Amino acid sequence: MNRLIKIDFRKYFHNRTFWVLSALYVVLVVLVFTGAEAFINKVVTNVGKNSPVAIPGFSLYSFPFVWHNLAFLAGFFKIFLALIVIIFITNEFGYKTIRQNVMSGMSRVEFLFSKVLFVLFISLFVTLILFLTAFLLGLTHTEHITTSLVFSKMYFVPAYFLEVFTFLLTALMFAFVLQKQGLTIGLFALYYYVVEPIIAFRLPDGAARFLPVRITAHLIDVPNSSLMKLFGVNFREYISWLDVGVCLGYSVLFVLITYLFLKNRDL
Amino acid sequence: MKKEILEIRNLSKSYGRLKALDSLSLTVEKGSVFGILGPNGSGKTTTLGILLDIIKADNGEYFWFGQKPDSALRKRIGALLEQPLFYPYMTAVDNLKIVADIRGVHYGEIDEVLEMVHLSERKLYKYSTFSLGMKQRLAIAAAMLGNPDVLILDEPTNGLDPKGIADIRNLIIEVAQGGVTIVLASHLLDEVEKVCSHVLVLEKGKKRYAGPVDEVLEGALSLEVAAKDMMLLETMLLQMPQVKTIKKQNGFFVLGVHEGLTPELLNKKLSEQGIYLTHLAGRNKSLEKYFLELLSD
Repeated sequence: MNRLIKIDFRKYFHNRTFWVLSALYVVLVVLVFTGAEAFINKVVTNVGKNSPVAIPGFSLYSFPFVWHNLAFLAGFFKIFLALIVIIFITNEFGYKTIRQNVMSGMSRVEFLFSKVLFVLFISLFVTLILFLTAFLLGLTHTEHITTSLVFSKMYFVPAYFLEVFTFLLTALMFAFVLQKQGLTIGLFALYYYVVEPIIAFRLPDGAARFLPVRITAHLIDVPNSSLMKLFGVNFREYISWLDVGVCLGYSVLFVLITYLFLKNRDL
Repeated sequence: MKKEILEIRNLSKSYGRLKALDSLSLTVEKGSVFGILGPNGSGKTTTLGILLDIIKADNGEYFWFGQKPDSALRKRIGALLEQPLFYPYMTAVDNLKIVADIRGVHYGEIDEVLEMVHLSERKLYKYSTFSLGMKQRLAIAAAMLGNPDVLILDEPTNGLDPKGIADIRNLIIEVAQGGVTIVLASHLLDEVEKVCSHVLVLEKGKKRYAGPVDEVLEGALSLEVAAKDMMLLETMLLQMPQVKTIKKQNGFFVLGVHEGLTPELLNKKLSEQGIYLTHLAGRNKSLEKYFLELLSD
């Protein structure tokens, strides 16, 4: 496994696109995390001017709510990560380097496994960024910090990891099956923005929730703010085990489909 | 130790309605330099692709070193298939490090193989800056990493200049002398004739001939003779059953002969009849000529 990580890492280490995209993602996400509260409060204050009821300003960053708030927010940027995954997998087909890899003595399974590890690595990395920013913001924005307060809702962090991991494996499957870079990006975006919403619309409510993109998006529900509570809307503040199970199921299924596809194919 | 490095049984592969390979069977023995000849599209690359697990055969099976093929066995095979395939944004050395990691070879060997193909000076340049000939040489270097037992080379001299071609040919001979089995696909007959011990001739995915190069050429032997009295010589030659054809050319006869009629025997026979030759030369038909004949029937 170390050998596969080493081989795969070398492919990215020397690639400028990889570093630029990664840096862009980190900067973007950290900026959004740190700027979100000020932005929302400004909007809320503007709305509040004409409201008959006083709308309380609220803190996005206080423990333990910071975990949920930022994990939800981070979910919007995972399409960017899918782009990185798609670019680097389709590159292997574009340069035909997958042939050279297999010819040199890598098995097809090892090749697939090295890409799953790549997806795992990206998922862990962005989860770490979420954890660190949320932790620091929480520390600086919570008045009475207790250990139990800090840890009480931290399960949103591993949930975010699962969300990204499952989502990126969907992208991985698209990349392996379609192989052409432009085509993969186009069809994945089409599926994400158009096809799945249409399917979801056709399906009964209860079933639509379990579609691959939807299940990852809804793993972490919209955070409840005091504003929401004012309107009597109440979202789920926990992670459903059923969702987790379905996400894990999809992860296994997508890797399995990719494996079956790759196994008997001319490279 | 088993003598057979490679055994192929009834391999077939179709692309849609096109039969790229039609139940090919073959064995390659250890230490031979095995040439695969055939016009474009005759199934050479398809065959090699299957042997390297790049292409999946529809039917048939093959064995490397007497075993069912797997990725561990492929580490003992160095290969260059059709065109060099590397990461354009990486240097020659970094590209070879990936290959070395895959094969479990020490990085120390990288400089050696780069030296072998005369790429040492450019080793820290990006692959995308290389000319076709340099890319080809890098691919050969990659194939040589880890001292493979078998070297598979598909059109290895593609894109090389005359000096490069000569270098590669010498390299192949040198490597073969070290006991490495070489499978060489080429449509350049000259190349195969100079280095190969065995040859497979493919046409439209079918085997037309397989065997030692000497044997191919044996049936294609011709002799040049001349004597003072050409009329008498011709009469005598016409009486010999081993002489297949007689052609007059530039003042001597070119004879197509059966196996067994060596220059020595011919000379002896004629002198017994009182004819003394003023000119006697053995001439091998080139592989190219033979090949064209074979494919034209």
